[in-house]
Amino acid sequence: MARVEGKYALRSVGRNARRTVLSVLGIGIGVALALFMESLNRGRGEMLARAAAHSGSGHLRVVPEGWRLRRDPRLRLADGETDLAMARALPGLATATPRARAQVLLAMGNHVVPVEMVGVDPETEPRAFRFVRTVAAGRYLWPDDSGAVVVGKAVADRLEAELGDEILATAVGKGGDIESAMFRIVGLVATGSEEIDAGICQVTLGDVERLTGLAGAGEVTAILADHRTTAAARAALAERVAPGDEVMTFEDLSPEFKGHLEQDAAAGRLIRIIILLIVFLGVASAQLAAVLERRREFAVLAALGMRAGRMVRLVLLEALALGAAGGAVGVALGLPVLWLFAKKGLDFSRFTGTSRAFEGIILDPVIYGDVGPWIVPYVIAVAIGATVLASLYPAWFAARTDPAVALRVAQ
Amino acid sequence: MNEIVLSARGVTKIFDQGQLEVRALRGVDLVVREGEFLALVGPSGSGKTTFLNLAGALDVPTSGELTVLGREVARLTRAERSELRLRSLGFVFQAYNLVPVLTALENVEFVLELQRVGSERRREAARVLEELGLADLAHRRPNELSGGQQQRVAVARAVAARPRLVLADEPTANLDGENAEILMHMMRDLRDRHGMTFVFSTHDPRVVAHAVRVVTLVDGQVARDVEKPGEAPHEILPGIGKASEQSRI
Repeated sequence: MARVEGKYALRSVGRNARRTVLSVLGIGIGVALALFMESLNRGRGEMLARAAAHSGSGHLRVVPEGWRLRRDPRLRLADGETDLAMARALPGLATATPRARAQVLLAMGNHVVPVEMVGVDPETEPRAFRFVRTVAAGRYLWPDDSGAVVVGKAVADRLEAELGDEILATAVGKGGDIESAMFRIVGLVATGSEEIDAGICQVTLGDVERLTGLAGAGEVTAILADHRTTAAARAALAERVAPGDEVMTFEDLSPEFKGHLEQDAAAGRLIRIIILLIVFLGVASAQLAAVLERRREFAVLAALGMRAGRMVRLVLLEALALGAAGGAVGVALGLPVLWLFAKKGLDFSRFTGTSRAFEGIILDPVIYGDVGPWIVPYVIAVAIGATVLASLYPAWFAARTDPAVALRVAQ
Repeated sequence: MNEIVLSARGVTKIFDQGQLEVRALRGVDLVVREGEFLALVGPSGSGKTTFLNLAGALDVPTSGELTVLGREVARLTRAERSELRLRSLGFVFQAYNLVPVLTALENVEFVLELQRVGSERRREAARVLEELGLADLAHRRPNELSGGQQQRVAVARAVAARPRLVLADEPTANLDGENAEILMHMMRDLRDRHGMTFVFSTHDPRVVAHAVRVVTLVDGQVARDVEKPGEAPHEILPGIGKASEQSRI
């Protein structure tokens, strides 16, 4: 049998219809805004993680021990083949690719450009490094494409080189000798960011091995299907890589980027806190007004022997009903917007230009909202949590009603 | 001799209103025994409501000793006073003060729910209403009831939990003569049938006529305490007492 207390609370919510409608609307709009901000934040986090991973770092990178501190491109993996095989065996893997890096001077005519040359597997690299998918002129590397180089347009411009030109690459070899090799430009990459383009110089893995005399890969980069599995995948891969090698995440690789992500998340949290605070204060004010209006009623309840705890419970039950209604309105208002946001995305390019580069990462101008099962606990936490919390003071106020004073005042 | 349900010895109550000190009660001495039907009379400001508030453990005296059902009110904590009110006292207010969003039945049932009466509480509340001739009004909300009906439901709510002492502050002040008569008969009948003690304040001489004992307060002191010799018989109202004698009240 339903308790009278429950009916009492529910019907009390409907007593002042105008105030209840306004409160529910306020909570609903707050919930919808908070949902949107959360979706935006999650979508932005997703975009940043994807952008970072596909801008070269991958979600995970197997590196030689010592690389973390020295960042020396001449370091090579203890057993690159094992590391690559282990990475490819990871559940939820999108792709894994080996690389070897070398600091080189590119020269043509009187022009010299220092750049980090990256030796890659041409078959898997485009799946891991999205910039090379934007070959503006020529083509990307083929397997066993010895002597071919793909450079960023900015590199070519600085060398005053064109597609088909031959350039000289000079590097320090294994024994400390200066080694050189000629490469023909087969492709020019134009990402839209000069900063990024100025750092692109890719050849086959074999060419870097030959130029530097250092055998094998210097890293294995892995892209996961879902960046949220990064921590688990890292733990799994760390157990399997060859001794002498270790696994880093994209956040480890770029502490500045990690800081940016954290700053971004903190800003999002701040906005959500402000929204919740507005909801909180609105509900607290409405509930306090409702309690003040009913001071005499609470005095009568106290006179009948209702304990303070039960009075608190009664007011909180009312808040729960108000929060549930507000949450439902919030979902009704927010879900269609969220769905549209997830499908169409929000295009920030009119504010930021077509692309933005940050720490060697090109950020997408379009952010897609995240819609998932998180919405259910989120709405419950925001709508009911905030409403019930906001009602604590009014509930305490009701419970502290002095029946003798309140009844005397009423008379 | 019946058991003492209320004992006041030298009870004073002073309200501190900033620079003004209001002495509402100035040494009240009064003993009320079980089953009494006592009217507190006196002019406005004589201390009737203040005394009822103290007797109902809604407030504590400034000095003196006030014992309600063997418990000294001043020594009880807030929670203990709540418990005393819940278990042993019933209140009837001048302005009825029913919960407006609950029906008559639910108003009565709510008190039983507060007392943690189990699943039979709804049946019990219905039985109380029926016994008091209010069964037809059970599913009406207060705004669908007349003043007299509301006050009768308020009496039903006050007695539903079988209190030993019922305190009523000007219960007929908002009622016309006919409804005042009905209410007084109802209260008197409850007292006669179940031995409940009623203490009520009033200005109305027609209501005073129903009292067995009349205590007059003047300026916060008992000016007169008159017990009527022999009790005036009263007519049992139709509709009252229809329920089984096994009922709780």
